[in-house]
Amino acid sequence: MVVPDRLVAVEQAYDDLLRRSLSKIEGDLARLIYLASTRDYNTGKYHHDGLAARFQEEIAGQALELAHREIFCRIATSSLEELVAQVEIYVSSSRQSREEVLQVWQKLEPYRVALPVDVNIAVAQLFVSNIKLALAILLQRCQREELAASRS
Amino acid sequence: MIELLSIIIGIVLLLLGLATKGWLAARHLQETLPATGEATAAPPCPESFVSSVFSRDDWEFVRGLKADGIERLFRRERKKVALVWVRQTSMMIRKAMREHAEAARQSENLEFTTEVNILAQFLVLMVVCGILSVAIEAAGPLFLGGLARFAQRLSQRVVKVQESFQAVAPAKAANRTA
Repeated sequence: MVVPDRLVAVEQAYDDLLRRSLSKIEGDLARLIYLASTRDYNTGKYHHDGLAARFQEEIAGQALELAHREIFCRIATSSLEELVAQVEIYVSSSRQSREEVLQVWQKLEPYRVALPVDVNIAVAQLFVSNIKLALAILLQRCQREELAASRS
Repeated sequence: MIELLSIIIGIVLLLLGLATKGWLAARHLQETLPATGEATAAPPCPESFVSSVFSRDDWEFVRGLKADGIERLFRRERKKVALVWVRQTSMMIRKAMREHAEAARQSENLEFTTEVNILAQFLVLMVVCGILSVAIEAAGPLFLGGLARFAQRLSQRVVKVQESFQAVAPAKAANRTA
């Protein structure tokens, strides 16, 4: 019964990851960026020291990948309004000014790194497209706020 | 009588044209993904995907912002995503039909009604993909949610039928040789 044991272990590691790490991060977009950052750019493998110490390296990697895919899917199919709120939470948590972060995100498109490997191409396109829209909406909001402030 | 015949011929030609458009829709995706087979090898879209892309709620939200630039960007982006989905669906159906044709060639006891039913579903899907492709290119995806959901349901059904056919065909062949 090797396979079920392995599945149970991945599930336990996944629960542990949710409880100890992901629950402390505010917003699904921030969680997605965090999970993507645990993936090695060259090998595509996920690594998390604490999780690997509590479970095996491979089990930890699978739990991270599972969480990454789940959160990605949730964000990609969320409504545009929800996504705008998520991007706002993420941008507000940065030390840089909101407008500066939004502009850099528009230019460099770092969110493309958050795509899981072998994701459905249409879902990936929807995610990228919605983030572009959310950034444009938030930038426009910033500009309107600035304009209103300068008038008063 | 001649008028009725011309109308019928016109409709048949139109349907053939749309089916060809639906068939060719997959080509665009193949051109963007040369030789990778990514579009069909990747996991299927989640159930909520079509509702998200063809969502009227997102459009209402964008319209509420009262910003022409954002509205234009929204229309452009949604059109792009919707076309990728139509092309992917068309490609997936073509792949399923190819696999079905191969499996059917090896099968000795084909059921005529099942085969006709599968072919009809395939043709309907190609026509729907053609209509979706033309309509999205012309007017965007906003009013096509119903048709897109129909295409999604039908394509899932065709793929399921094909998978079950493939699962049964080798078993039948093995029984015959035994």
